[in-house]
Amino acid sequence: MRLFRNLAQALRGLRLNKANTFLMTLGVMIGIASLTVIVSIGEGTKSKVLNRITNLGFGPESFSVMSGAGRLFFGRSRNTTSMTLQDADDIRAMPHVTIVVPRQRKRMRIINKKEFTTTRVYGVSPEWQVARGWTVVDGAFLSDMDMDRKRKVIVLGATPAYKLFGEKDPLGKKIRVGQVFFEVVGLLEKKGLTESGYDPDDRALIPLSTSMSRLFRQTHLHSIKVVTTHPGRVKDTMAGVTQILRRNHGLSPLADDDFRFVTPEGIMQWVTESEQALNRMLFLISTVSLLVGGIVIMNILLVSIRERIHEIGVRRCFGARRSDITQQFLFESIFVSLLGGAMGAMLGWTLSTGLKRFDLLPTKITWDPFILAFLFSVIVGLVFGIHPARKAACLNPDETLR
Amino acid sequence: MTVPKVIDIESIYKTYKNEGLETEVLKGISISVGEGDYISIVGPSGAGKSTLMTILGCLGQATSGTYLLDGEEVGELNDRQLSRIRNEKIGFVFQAFHLLPGVSAFDNVMMPLVYCNKTPGDAEERVERSLNRVGLGHRMGHTPGQLSGGEQQRVTIARSLINDPKIILADEPTGNLDSKNGAEIMATFDGLNREGRTIIIITHDLAVAEHARRILTLRDGQIVSDKINETFQESRTSPARATAE
Ligand SMILES: Nc1ncnc2c1ncn2[C@@H]1O[C@H](COP(=O)(O)OP(=O)(O)OP(=O)(O)O)[C@@H](O)[C@H]1O
Ligand SMILES: [Mg+2]
Repeated sequence: MRLFRNLAQALRGLRLNKANTFLMTLGVMIGIASLTVIVSIGEGTKSKVLNRITNLGFGPESFSVMSGAGRLFFGRSRNTTSMTLQDADDIRAMPHVTIVVPRQRKRMRIINKKEFTTTRVYGVSPEWQVARGWTVVDGAFLSDMDMDRKRKVIVLGATPAYKLFGEKDPLGKKIRVGQVFFEVVGLLEKKGLTESGYDPDDRALIPLSTSMSRLFRQTHLHSIKVVTTHPGRVKDTMAGVTQILRRNHGLSPLADDDFRFVTPEGIMQWVTESEQALNRMLFLISTVSLLVGGIVIMNILLVSIRERIHEIGVRRCFGARRSDITQQFLFESIFVSLLGGAMGAMLGWTLSTGLKRFDLLPTKITWDPFILAFLFSVIVGLVFGIHPARKAACLNPDETLR
Repeated sequence: MTVPKVIDIESIYKTYKNEGLETEVLKGISISVGEGDYISIVGPSGAGKSTLMTILGCLGQATSGTYLLDGEEVGELNDRQLSRIRNEKIGFVFQAFHLLPGVSAFDNVMMPLVYCNKTPGDAEERVERSLNRVGLGHRMGHTPGQLSGGEQQRVTIARSLINDPKIILADEPTGNLDSKNGAEIMATFDGLNREGRTIIIITHDLAVAEHARRILTLRDGQIVSDKINETFQESRTSPARATAE
């Protein structure tokens, strides 16, 4: 068949013009490789964020109120001091609220003799453990007694415990937090790093009363965690909390909230939004990289047509139709971009695996980019091959042979 | 005795237009060529010889005039039909050889068969036969770069013969060759003509032109002389000789 004969001529053409074939293949290969790497980074980031959410320890029936306006984790003002224990007590009095955990938080240096580390120190009420569902592997969690007596006791997460004591048993030891000595009474179960590198074990917990009067020396709270009886109650409860806090903080009806909610749903929404933004960006970048690959093909083909103008003329002299020439050059560009696509996909796969293996970037390899790579290669070959191919075909045979 | 005409052109004009610049290259040329004729076209450089050949070879269209090739009106044919004519009826030989670089002599000769409507079953034997006939049976695997000029030109002749065309058009086939190689090539053309093939050769070289039975002189886009070559040796097997004119 004529089509196959033209395909054979195209393959021979590629073999004979190795330098051009190599450059065109390289162009597509780079485009496709960056596409697959970018997509796998995107997938990796997505699963990292999802992972992070599950590590926040939210159930669907709970939410947090953070002091300071803003969205989710990004508070606009860090110095809002309006949230107090009174707020927590008022929330606790609401119907359908089962657990309320007021919290203070600060990054501080903790020291054991010569060893020291900086960690997140939380002042919490004893309900924290129930609300978070986090087990203590050694010793005990903070008790009501600790809370009432403002005892200087501390429960360590696995990370600071290891940094300060290594393999030794920290229980009963005294460590210094800032200028104050605390006794280690419990060790939290180790959760391990999330994929993103967030370390949930990098924390230390002390009684809220102690942190208020002896360590942070401040009465305002960082946040309040609220657990309701049922996920369906979350919305109403948040509305009620809003009323209570606005009243307690004396906000005029026109003033903005000076607190914000963090809910599993809100996080999901945030993730979805950022995912969409990310996807848009990924799409843009990969389109650009493929466009570049395509333009490389087109230019090289155009140059190659200049170089092979005699070949085209000779073929026309001996009976090649315009369509034969078009087909030959189109086959060349499609074949080249398929080859480049396959090599690019392999390179992309290798890079993605490497990035993950060496902990440089979170990547997740899915099938989509490879299917996309195949489709895009064919499209690139067609779209960017058609112009040079037609140009070659439309050359006048008599003018190609001068 | 009338011989069927393979080529009959009537007041052909050709004007090249380049960015507003018009060059009238052919100014009313009429020739008719009988089957089996052997013609050389001579004339000074720039006279329009190559232009005439592109028109005869259906590589370019005349600006005006009619062209009957083997009974078909060329001016009315589309790209497909013109391609078929070039494939089946005409064999080209060029001064610059125009072989595909890097491709073996065998595959170069095979090339026109790629564009046949139906590849003949005995394609490879035909290629071998064609190369043997120009004395290159032992060089089939060589690429143009590995062949001498004379050998390359013989490959192009083998290529032009592969589809057994009625007409062979050669534009300065000896132009790039020394006299010995040139003579060999001309001997090949003589043999082809003796078999009854129509041959048209464009040349500068009077010695080359003398091989033909009929010599046309082109000057300034017009035929200024059309004469029978007295020294032409009538030692051929083909009976058809007389011209229509
Ligand atoms: N594509 C073109 N555009 C414009 N002018 C052209 C073109 N091709 C040829 N010409 C002009 O037509 C004239 C005849 O050219 P042609 O090549 O037919 O001459 P020739 O008789 O073959 O000469 P030579 O013996 O040198 O090969 C020349 O003056 C040339 O400049
Ligand atoms: Mg010429």
